[in-house]
Amino acid sequence: MSSSRLLLNFNLKHSILIILIIVCEILTSEVPRPRGVSLSRASLYDPEKDFVCLDGTISIPFTHVNDDYCDCPDGSDEPGTSACPNGIFHCTNAGHKPLNIHSSRVKDGICDCCDGSDEHGNNNVNCVNNCYELGRSAREEAQRQAELIKVGNQMRLEFSQKGIQIKQEKKEKLVELEKHKAEAEAVLKEKESLKNEVEVLEGAALEQYKKIEEEERKRKEEAEAADTRIEATETFNRFDSNKDGKVDISELQTRQTFDKDRNGEVSEEEAKFFLNEEESVDLEAFITLAWPRIKPFMMLDAGLFKPPIKEGEEEEQEHINEEHEGEAEELTEEELHEGEESEFGGEEDEEEPEEEIEEKATETSTPAPPQYDEETQKLVDAANEARKEYESAKQAVRDIQTELNNIEEYLEKDYGPDEEFAVLEGQCFEYTDHEYIYKLCPFDKTIQQPKSNSLETRLGTWSRWAGPDINKYQIMMYERGQSCWNGPQRSTKVRVACGSENKVISVTEPNRCEYQFDFITPAACKELASDSEDDVHDEL
Amino acid sequence: METSKRYKFLALCALMVSLVEAVDRNNFKTCEQSSFCRRLRGVKPGESKYELNLGSLQVSDTTIEAELVNKEADVTFKFVLTALVDNTFRVVVDEVKPLHPRYKVEGALDGEPQVSKLELLERSSEQVVIKSGDNKVIIKAAPLKVEFYQGDSLASVVNGRGLFVFEHLRAKKVEGDVVTNLDEQPQQTEDPGAWEENFKSHHDTKPRGPEAVGVDITFPGAHRAYGLPEHADRFALRSTDARGTDPYRLYNLDVFEYELDTTMAIYGSVPVLYAHSPERTVGVFWLNAAETWVDISNSKDTNVVSSIVNLVSGQQTETHVNAHFMSESGIVDLFVFLGPTPQKAVQQYAKLTGSAPLPQYFALGYHQCRWNYNDEDDVRTVVENFDEHDMPLDVMWLDIEYTDGKKYFTWDPIKFKHPAVMQQNLTATGRKLVVIIDPHIKREGGYFLHEEALANDYYVKNKDGSVYEGWCWPGSSSYLDLFNPKVREYYAGLYALDKFTGSTNDLYIWNDMNEPSVFNGPEITMPKDCVHYGDWEHRHVHNVYGLFYIMATYQGLLNRANNKLRPFVLTRAHYSGAQRYAAVWTGDNAADWSHLAISLPMCLSEAMGGISFCGADIGGFFNNPDEELLQRWYQTGAWLPFFRAHAHIDTKRREPYLYNQDVRTRIRNALRQRYVHLPLWYTLFWEHYRTGNPVIRPLVYEYPTQTDLFDIDDEILIGSSILAHPVTKSGATTENVFLPGGAKEIWYDIEDYRPLPGTGYLSIPVTMDKVPVYYRGGSIIPRKDRPRRASTLTHDDPFTLYVALDNNKRAEGTLYIDDYQSFDYKNKKYLYIKFVYENGKLTSSFIDGDANYQTKAWLERVVVIGPPSGIKEAKITSKKLGTVKLKVSYDGENRSLTIRKPGVNLQETFSISLH
Repeated sequence: MSSSRLLLNFNLKHSILIILIIVCEILTSEVPRPRGVSLSRASLYDPEKDFVCLDGTISIPFTHVNDDYCDCPDGSDEPGTSACPNGIFHCTNAGHKPLNIHSSRVKDGICDCCDGSDEHGNNNVNCVNNCYELGRSAREEAQRQAELIKVGNQMRLEFSQKGIQIKQEKKEKLVELEKHKAEAEAVLKEKESLKNEVEVLEGAALEQYKKIEEEERKRKEEAEAADTRIEATETFNRFDSNKDGKVDISELQTRQTFDKDRNGEVSEEEAKFFLNEEESVDLEAFITLAWPRIKPFMMLDAGLFKPPIKEGEEEEQEHINEEHEGEAEELTEEELHEGEESEFGGEEDEEEPEEEIEEKATETSTPAPPQYDEETQKLVDAANEARKEYESAKQAVRDIQTELNNIEEYLEKDYGPDEEFAVLEGQCFEYTDHEYIYKLCPFDKTIQQPKSNSLETRLGTWSRWAGPDINKYQIMMYERGQSCWNGPQRSTKVRVACGSENKVISVTEPNRCEYQFDFITPAACKELASDSEDDVHDEL
Repeated sequence: METSKRYKFLALCALMVSLVEAVDRNNFKTCEQSSFCRRLRGVKPGESKYELNLGSLQVSDTTIEAELVNKEADVTFKFVLTALVDNTFRVVVDEVKPLHPRYKVEGALDGEPQVSKLELLERSSEQVVIKSGDNKVIIKAAPLKVEFYQGDSLASVVNGRGLFVFEHLRAKKVEGDVVTNLDEQPQQTEDPGAWEENFKSHHDTKPRGPEAVGVDITFPGAHRAYGLPEHADRFALRSTDARGTDPYRLYNLDVFEYELDTTMAIYGSVPVLYAHSPERTVGVFWLNAAETWVDISNSKDTNVVSSIVNLVSGQQTETHVNAHFMSESGIVDLFVFLGPTPQKAVQQYAKLTGSAPLPQYFALGYHQCRWNYNDEDDVRTVVENFDEHDMPLDVMWLDIEYTDGKKYFTWDPIKFKHPAVMQQNLTATGRKLVVIIDPHIKREGGYFLHEEALANDYYVKNKDGSVYEGWCWPGSSSYLDLFNPKVREYYAGLYALDKFTGSTNDLYIWNDMNEPSVFNGPEITMPKDCVHYGDWEHRHVHNVYGLFYIMATYQGLLNRANNKLRPFVLTRAHYSGAQRYAAVWTGDNAADWSHLAISLPMCLSEAMGGISFCGADIGGFFNNPDEELLQRWYQTGAWLPFFRAHAHIDTKRREPYLYNQDVRTRIRNALRQRYVHLPLWYTLFWEHYRTGNPVIRPLVYEYPTQTDLFDIDDEILIGSSILAHPVTKSGATTENVFLPGGAKEIWYDIEDYRPLPGTGYLSIPVTMDKVPVYYRGGSIIPRKDRPRRASTLTHDDPFTLYVALDNNKRAEGTLYIDDYQSFDYKNKKYLYIKFVYENGKLTSSFIDGDANYQTKAWLERVVVIGPPSGIKEAKITSKKLGTVKLKVSYDGENRSLTIRKPGVNLQETFSISLH
């Protein structure tokens, strides 16, 4: 090969590299070592001595090294054959990067090393040494990468400046808002004390009116409670057939009213339900605990009570009725009872309908607000005015707080070590394939939209950086997107790489409802030490 | 692959009913919902109306023939009994003058059965006695009863209980015309479904009316019944009876999320049954392609019904198995295999229906499938990842999404734009590609296949003669009528490399949905009154539709490569004979421990039914397996013949390299365990091809007299030399392993060579890394221990022989070697080697001395397990090497002795002696 010709083609940095490679070649030919051994390990293979497996386990004659039979448990005696299942073959690949491959690749008919050394002695295959071609394009590619990183890094720095500036502005705004907030809070305090003062006066003036109202309400409640008690006591006495002062399970079991599942008999469980899960109850417990459960069923039985139905339930019920024509009546009840049991678990659900009834009752029976005398009315008006002012002061504080929260949220977000990703926020980047338009709106969301219409599907909402520890800014996660039918919520993993512009370059769906975007941006361009050169150094 | 999930989604959405996580039993008939099953199951024992007219008896060298009369209906049939080679008899009953022809199954038998001489021993008006070989048959006239004797002992009786029924074809009586036909006796009220039948919203017009056939067969002395695949059930058949369990149903169906431990029909139907006792195995093969139900009763499961049966028929309640075959149409065509061993009985069946041709080597490697790999990049990345993690992989698979809009023989123009390049990339590292091709054809204008099929009238018809349209993956679809030989020829031609654009000789085929699956059809299949070539209704031929389909595919692949390369086809639907064309997998299983466990008995049943090349989707098709289940599934699947991972489109990715290092290592170990044993698998497939011996076997197959292992189906034998007891339970720390053969049999743990006696159950501790697998003392197992990324790349690699010594310090084994892929073995280009170790010496010899193959493979190592002590060295002798000393070394516990590098090429015979 002509190294001089190659030398001409490369800048100084690369010529050094080439020289190193050539030196390496010379060394290779000068330092005899078994096939598949890297230069750094050559000294471990001394033909003059017995070979000690590199794990130190056994010692074998040197003729057993690379004799296509595995003697060492660690595979170190067969660096150049496929004899050991755990062996490693080292290709020098002069002109390109050296490579370690599994021994399973040795002499398998496939050229894995660009210098073809893994198929040495295999007549079935003719491996062409293309290390220099590969090496050249790898170096060119590395150079392109380096240049890209250089240019990208420049842009990254600009991004970073902007990001820092935005952050600074936000911080300043934050200070300003804190100040506003303090002011607004002072105003609020003032308005509050004003309001309180007026309300005291108003309250005193209204006292007597209130008393009248209160008394009226109390009286009504007591009357109702007494009614309930009477009714419950009557029922208790009726149920307590053995007159032992307690109503027990067997006494309830004789009453078909309590056959909740309508299977023709009142089971112990059913009876127990009505006794608040007790074996028996005395009068007091009956009134307070059992009666609220029993009453609706008795009303049902008497046809007095139509259970309240929520709108959604109504629909469901209709649907069920359609399916089971003829059984409709029965099912309606069943459905209701089941709902009571499972959803609310006993007590609350019984109270709910009663409460509603009660509310309605008070609404209709409460008389219109009384006419106040002139003075009282004035006080009421003043109080109303004070309350209004107080509310608007409160709102002002709230508005400032919202703005503050937004800024704090922003400041909590991680826009990269140098704020270089911040400028991406507020922008969206599109990618179009044959069927869909995908959008990445950094720090916000990912979107899929069919070309044929504008129905957007959210593929994820910004969640976090999720790259590996060495650089978590390689991956953005967008989670909690729209749910798939019969599947999970959609999510998107965005792989971020260096590029001279902001662009989504591919979108795939490796798992159902799990999307993967590849996004390039100058923000991800950071100059790092090139590893290709490291390898060569290592080899030397 | 996939069932009708999506379609059902639509249908169920419309009904506003939520999808349940299991089979929807309502989609499938019970016996009670099937008119003919009701009719035949209702026949009372001991009242047979069928009598032989022995006055009409004709005897030839190989057959006897006589008229059989249904006394009640006064209809005459022809009864023919033929003696076949290998202890086999055939009984055929057909109508003498049927109103319409009756269907006789085609395609299942591997050519015409070979007949054998029979001898007339005795003849009277009551009975005829004949003899063939050591077997005797007594044919009794009134009522018809055929007794098969093996030697002097009664092995099997046909129509012993008098359940024989042959519904002759008849004209439908016109209403009000009932009494005018004075010939016929007043009949019992006909079953309401005799002339037409409804199931759910489907109406079956039954133009030919009732035409069912049925027969009972008793097996005196039998302890167990095996066979009748395909069912998701235990290996030993359960007793079915009229009150509880439905009969085993054989009707190829696409059952969505099939249930386990039931007699329900699924994708395949193989109507072969074996009755086994320590004394003998008897097989029967009911050659009928129509919907079939089989009642089994075993005296051990004594129940009310069988004791009533016994009471009525006057049978003694001795150990026995009864079977009752019931088919909707066709003729009675029954084969009886008199064994007497399980090996013989299975081989007798294989003789009739054929064995699997030797597969290509790659087909025994690991297959990676998913519904779906999205595009060419995806395929490439998966393979790269396998390589990066040093996990062997032979075949990548593409499910339906690779097509252009579910039009088979096309490629998605965007995602799979360069199919040929994709295949070249795969073959560059020794891999192959398999793509799915299903029998439903998209009805789309401009689709060449649809247009050609329409133009040439190649589609299955409705009863009115119009083209049948069903619903499947592509939406509206029609189905090629594969019973027409021209259609099969046309279809096979579609696989030609110039016709199937983008295909290469490294592309192989997966035939799915070939029951056929029709999403909107009755029981998710084709209506029974559809019409096929030859004027057969679908009801007559249903169970062989899939068989004719894979027959055409196999032919297409043969033609494509000028008969040079062995085809590979995977099929879901199957019938007897399918083994000649395709491998089979157990369809759409689920990521559940119970599904992992059932894969063993399911494949064992298939193996006894002649279909050895069987496997289950690794990981489970539906749902996501957890890591433990996935690892166990790889460890189990490595010991079943067909080794493929597959997953539903809604599941998460589960390629083995996606897991943490521990999991990856275990799965890699399972894959490697498979790959090192490929020489044994390949040899077993060769021997299966030659003898019909199954590749995997239940314990009872090798140990037929050991009654305590008759029910064992959680472990399998690979050939006769390896016993695998895969772990199929979560959190297992010990396994109850049954080691057969008695105190003298030695089983060696394949990892540490610890010897264990074959004295029954042992509690074996297991870890996630440990699966109880044993080499049988007395066997020699050939292996290739060098890992490669694909099996095809191991062709020239050296062998290691594992010589596991028995109680007498003896062992033997075989090894088959060829080019891995061509049909050159038919031209004697192979090596079939026998190894024997005895008296301290291992010798090789050729079983087929006239065969030869130039191999580069040599003997790398010999590991003697359970070796003699005090061996210092070994000597190898061969023509080329002369005599050479070899180093030997014991392992730390003296459980094995390794002979270092004999170095002899396997093409040469040799001997190695220990000193």
